Amino acid sequence: MLGYNLWLAARSVRRNPVLSILIIGGIALGITIATSFITLHHVLAQDPLPDRSSRLHYVRLDSWDPARAYPGDAEKPIPPHITYPDMRGIMKSGIPARENGGFKANLYVYPEKDKGRPFRAVVRLCFSDFFRMFEVPFAHGGPWPESADEGPEQVIVIDHATNDTLFGGGNSVGRTVRLDEREFKVVGVLAPWRPTIKMYDMTQFAYQEPEAIYMPFNFVEPMEIRTAGNTDNWKANTDNTPRGFLYSETAWLQFWVELEDERKVQEYRDFLEAYVMEQKKLGRFQRPLDVRLTPLPALIEEFQVVPEETKGMMLISLLFLTVCALNLTGLLLGKFLARAPEVGVRRALGASRRAVFLQHVVECEFIGIVGGAIGLLLSMGVLFLFNKSFPFGEVFHLDAAMAGASILLSLVAGLLAGLYPAWRVCTLPPAAHLRLG
Amino acid sequence: MEFGPILRAMGRNKMRFGLIVVEVALTLAIVANCVGLILDTRRELSKESGFDDDHLLSVRSTPFDKKFRDEQYIEQSIAQDLALLRGLPGVAAASNTPLLPWQGGGSSGTLKEAGTQNEPLRTQFYGGDDGTLDTLGVAIIEGRNLAPEDVQIDPNASSFNVVISKAYADLLFPEGGAVGKALQGARADRAFRIVGVFDKFYNPYAWNIGPYGLFSGTTSGSYAGGTHYLVRVERGAMTEVLKALEERMIALDDGRNVRVQTIAEVKGNFQRSMKTVVLSLNIVIGLLVFVTAVGIVGLTAFSVTERTRQIGTRRALGARRVDVLRYFLLENWILTSLGISLGLIGAYALNMVLVTFVDGARMDWRLLAAGVAILWATGFGAALGPAMRATRIPPAIATRNV
Repeated sequence: MLGYNLWLAARSVRRNPVLSILIIGGIALGITIATSFITLHHVLAQDPLPDRSSRLHYVRLDSWDPARAYPGDAEKPIPPHITYPDMRGIMKSGIPARENGGFKANLYVYPEKDKGRPFRAVVRLCFSDFFRMFEVPFAHGGPWPESADEGPEQVIVIDHATNDTLFGGGNSVGRTVRLDEREFKVVGVLAPWRPTIKMYDMTQFAYQEPEAIYMPFNFVEPMEIRTAGNTDNWKANTDNTPRGFLYSETAWLQFWVELEDERKVQEYRDFLEAYVMEQKKLGRFQRPLDVRLTPLPALIEEFQVVPEETKGMMLISLLFLTVCALNLTGLLLGKFLARAPEVGVRRALGASRRAVFLQHVVECEFIGIVGGAIGLLLSMGVLFLFNKSFPFGEVFHLDAAMAGASILLSLVAGLLAGLYPAWRVCTLPPAAHLRLG
Repeated sequence: MEFGPILRAMGRNKMRFGLIVVEVALTLAIVANCVGLILDTRRELSKESGFDDDHLLSVRSTPFDKKFRDEQYIEQSIAQDLALLRGLPGVAAASNTPLLPWQGGGSSGTLKEAGTQNEPLRTQFYGGDDGTLDTLGVAIIEGRNLAPEDVQIDPNASSFNVVISKAYADLLFPEGGAVGKALQGARADRAFRIVGVFDKFYNPYAWNIGPYGLFSGTTSGSYAGGTHYLVRVERGAMTEVLKALEERMIALDDGRNVRVQTIAEVKGNFQRSMKTVVLSLNIVIGLLVFVTAVGIVGLTAFSVTERTRQIGTRRALGARRVDVLRYFLLENWILTSLGISLGLIGAYALNMVLVTFVDGARMDWRLLAAGVAILWATGFGAALGPAMRATRIPPAIATRNV
């Protein structure tokens, strides 16, 4: 029966091509727009680490100027970073399962002889825990051992593209790279990795690409490495040396801890508060006690990472689809009622109301699915254009969930749009139209 | 006029006509809000820096040679670079300043009048030299420009001469008289003396300090951070300068890499998202109006087909073609207007949602007026075709098939 109904639907679509193009084109447009804008929002707002994001907590301490609060529009502003002395002070508490402090810097990379001029690479200084905390995927090797953090040992992890540039790809574990004046041994090569949100550092543009090279944090002092990220300072700093910067009140480090459960969170919060109270005795932290331990999803919300326009555009695109569905209802109503004589004949020959209703619902769903499929193809084109024209990188693509959702959406739209016309046509009295036929 | 018959006809086909009313209403609500979002974004896009953006170039020198660790070497290198840049054919002006217009940020600090208890006020804060204002293409309106002897080398000096933007001068000294005053930041032992005020400055920045700018007379450059220059080229000389620049800079000193970027490109990157949003919304509006028009055409065409016999009868009874045309246009106008009235409420409702969840602007009656005009025109245009077809129905059809 379904096969016969589908055959009828296809025949009906072919019979009036212009009307069919308008009907199917309308629903295809609605699906294109809705799918594209929902995907835009879905990709930009998706949880970067769905399995563990709620365990990762970002640490902020209000070490700002006693005389005035950190500037900003937030209700309770607080510096987005912590200072170097504070990071040293709160590390190794033993409470978090993992912890990582870090920043990004620009360092010169010296390719092997005759392989081109030195070039600047964006480097992240971090601890061994960083890679597992943020699920960084490796193609070869792995993170450096925790012992290498202490030395620090001259080991690095390079990303896929840097491995291609320096070594032409392949397993480069064990080879060396010169950064500034030191030779570093490669212990890991990353697989291609482009999280949409750079979740471990959202203080500048949050959709930035990850760094090219990763090295142990403790090189910051011996190599006098300066941050390429934001720095905030309120207190006059008379010592302009790199060491003077490190031990100033400048906040510039992103610090993350991984806490398994609520009990650990409370324990760590108590620890941080005790740390601040201790510092108050030493004359620092003269503002009211303010310790923030923010889970990653809440931080994404607080930093307003997802552009607000995308939410509005998603809403508008759904309303657009609604208009398309209403339009479909109107057009189908016309189309079906014009067919009244034919339906009259079918009814007179014994087709039940149910059969006629079903026939027309199948036709609507047929239109919905064909329109949905066309819309899906078109939205892939739109996403391609989004990749080219938004500054977020090539992050937009249709995943299975979104494709499924849009097919479902087209079926729902087809059904809702078609219910009334199908009902109208099956309740027509058959005799009225037979006379005229 | 046939109001009576039209309304009675509608009463018998509530659902079908209701569909068009709701469709028109939703379309108006969406179009008015999209236009609102577009205008918001356009306003942001139309902000001007006040600089000669189209003729500006950023030149960033990042050293790797250890000789740049020596501060004296950097000073010497800055002087050499500036001499080279200013001497290049096609270059109108060049300056050593870390300001990169349109990158969406920069550096800032808070300052107050020295010796007072005033609340410190935040401004963008950059090093600059005697060529900075000329390079940007802005003019001194009070006091004087920075002179070569104002440009200090020692970052720990106790006093700097500075020029500030008019907006920041007005913020600090609403009564006027900024020139000659001294400012201080966190360090009480360091003064910034205002020697001049310049007319235009806008560089997008958080905390709403886009129009506040200060250039302090110092050289800017370091081994780790590199040395940045802004260059203004003469009209039509961009291609020529771009071709020569990097090579000449490296030839002068090859212990570094040099990156050259037009400010037009930086600005383009900064505005990319907004431009895409505007384009997308325009396309959505266009498609939406098209879909609604198709809906109206379809419905009117169906109405005409359905009433072929009645139209024939009316014609046979003496109605003129223009009467038939008027009937359908009037019917359509009533539907569109009903939709528009409903849409006005819808537009405000949607706007309320958008303002709450998205940082949009409040609905403006002019947007609604524009939306209403667009929809009336659409409704009329869409109904015209089928209505014209109705006028061609011959009266004789009334005698057939009855």
